[in-house]
Amino acid sequence: MKKRSIYILLFFVGILLGGCDNADDGGYAKPITIYEKVKGDWSLTSIKMVDEYAKANSIKPDEQDLTNWFNYNTFVLQLNVDEENTPTSYKVLGEVPALFSADGFWDLSSAFTNTDLSAVKINLYTDVSKTQRTDQLLLISTPGSNEKMEIQLVRKVNQVVYASYVFTLTPAN
Amino acid sequence: MKIFTYSILALLLFSTSAIAQEEAGEIAKIWSFPVIYNYDEEVSWYFDLAGTSFAENEDVYIWIWSPSEPDAGNFDSSSEFAKLSYEGDFIWRFDLIPTDYFSVSAEDIAASAGFWLRLKDKTGTKQSGVGSVSLTAFSSFYTADELIRSYPENPLIDEPLSILFNANLIAGFDGATSVHMHSGLNDWEILQEYQVWVPEVVEKTKLKDMGNGFYKMDLIPSEYYNSPEGYVMENITFLFVKDEWAATTPDQKIFAADVIPPPPPAFTFFPLKISQKDILGIIRTNNERGITELIYTITAGTKVIQETISGNMTEIKGFVDLVSELKEEAPLEKIHVLIEDNSGRIITDTDIKLVELDE
Repeated sequence: MKKRSIYILLFFVGILLGGCDNADDGGYAKPITIYEKVKGDWSLTSIKMVDEYAKANSIKPDEQDLTNWFNYNTFVLQLNVDEENTPTSYKVLGEVPALFSADGFWDLSSAFTNTDLSAVKINLYTDVSKTQRTDQLLLISTPGSNEKMEIQLVRKVNQVVYASYVFTLTPAN
Repeated sequence: MKIFTYSILALLLFSTSAIAQEEAGEIAKIWSFPVIYNYDEEVSWYFDLAGTSFAENEDVYIWIWSPSEPDAGNFDSSSEFAKLSYEGDFIWRFDLIPTDYFSVSAEDIAASAGFWLRLKDKTGTKQSGVGSVSLTAFSSFYTADELIRSYPENPLIDEPLSILFNANLIAGFDGATSVHMHSGLNDWEILQEYQVWVPEVVEKTKLKDMGNGFYKMDLIPSEYYNSPEGYVMENITFLFVKDEWAATTPDQKIFAADVIPPPPPAFTFFPLKISQKDILGIIRTNNERGITELIYTITAGTKVIQETISGNMTEIKGFVDLVSELKEEAPLEKIHVLIEDNSGRIITDTDIKLVELDE
């Protein structure tokens, strides 16, 4: 009788210990990159030109809305990736002023948000091997749940920003 | 109410039939002389079309459908009786006796939805926005026991003024043959005395007899007193006189409205620094009357770009796509910009230095 109780006790202890086995940590998943968020076709909802020099010196006007000028309502930015979400080519559709090169190849300065929260840059190149950079755009608002992307083209002279163009984009249908 | 309903109906019908017309813009301002009038009195309506696409001295016709539509059926070819006369400075005038022109009684006009109209060219290819001449009822004065009342309460020197006078409230005015105004601007600084020995002055200073001891004076101060250009009116002091000074009212004073000078025009390029690969903004705000266009001529290297940009008195704004226009040009240090307005005046004639972008 006494021996049997010990077996039963041991049995339960075994069950309890058994529960500690086989921890379920989930399968390994790659973290989502910014490439996955920004890839695809983007239509323009607005474009404004900012006079950064005037803004810094509190001179008005320091902003102008260009949305209804120069066919900007037809502007579409295509950011293409391959099946691995690696950036390939890009293209600007619409007859708009070529503030930056209208086609070429692209990548990001970082696939993830910068830890210092500075804007990730979209580098634009003429060549597929991405050595000849033509322009650089700042990704100032990354699409999330609201599917809105904002990119800024900054104009500098002697390392001082004097103007910028802010494009607000939404996914094209 | 019935008339009101018809007016709205007419307005709706008119709006739909008018879709093909060129919209010339809204009438900037409408006023009348006299300011207040009985509907069987002759009146001039004034229309300010500055800022619309009507040109100076263009033939302009009135298309009015309330309280009635005198030129009905002739939208494609307005009648001569509907033609306005040009006063200069984008102002057109239309003279009428309302009861005659609309063939309705004064009571019907008072009960109507008001005077609703558009201004148009003869053939109806161009029309203004819908405007209305306001009805200013003043009948309350007859029972108000007020000695005088002015419309507007605080006049401007160059705008019409009407002054009503109830002579029943002053002893000795009954049985008057005529009533005259003896007056001056700014506490009698510039005078228009009642000089009984000068027939023109007797006529000029005479009030209109409205019946039952009520009188009205209509005037535009700058014309009436022939004040010098730029004179600032602070008040009008006056008294009314029966016949040849048989009786007078006490001195009266009307204070002028504050004059708010329009903000000065401002011209700017946008942005303040620019490169050959940017978009150049040209902006002029608070434009003078009649200034609605800027014509720019940009000389950049071998290229000359000339365009006209349109706007209104508030703002004329345009953008030049230097990126596309100058992409074939070698790097330039500067561009030359000449800007004229639609009166041919040079707004600016200058070089703009182009900055060299960092790579």
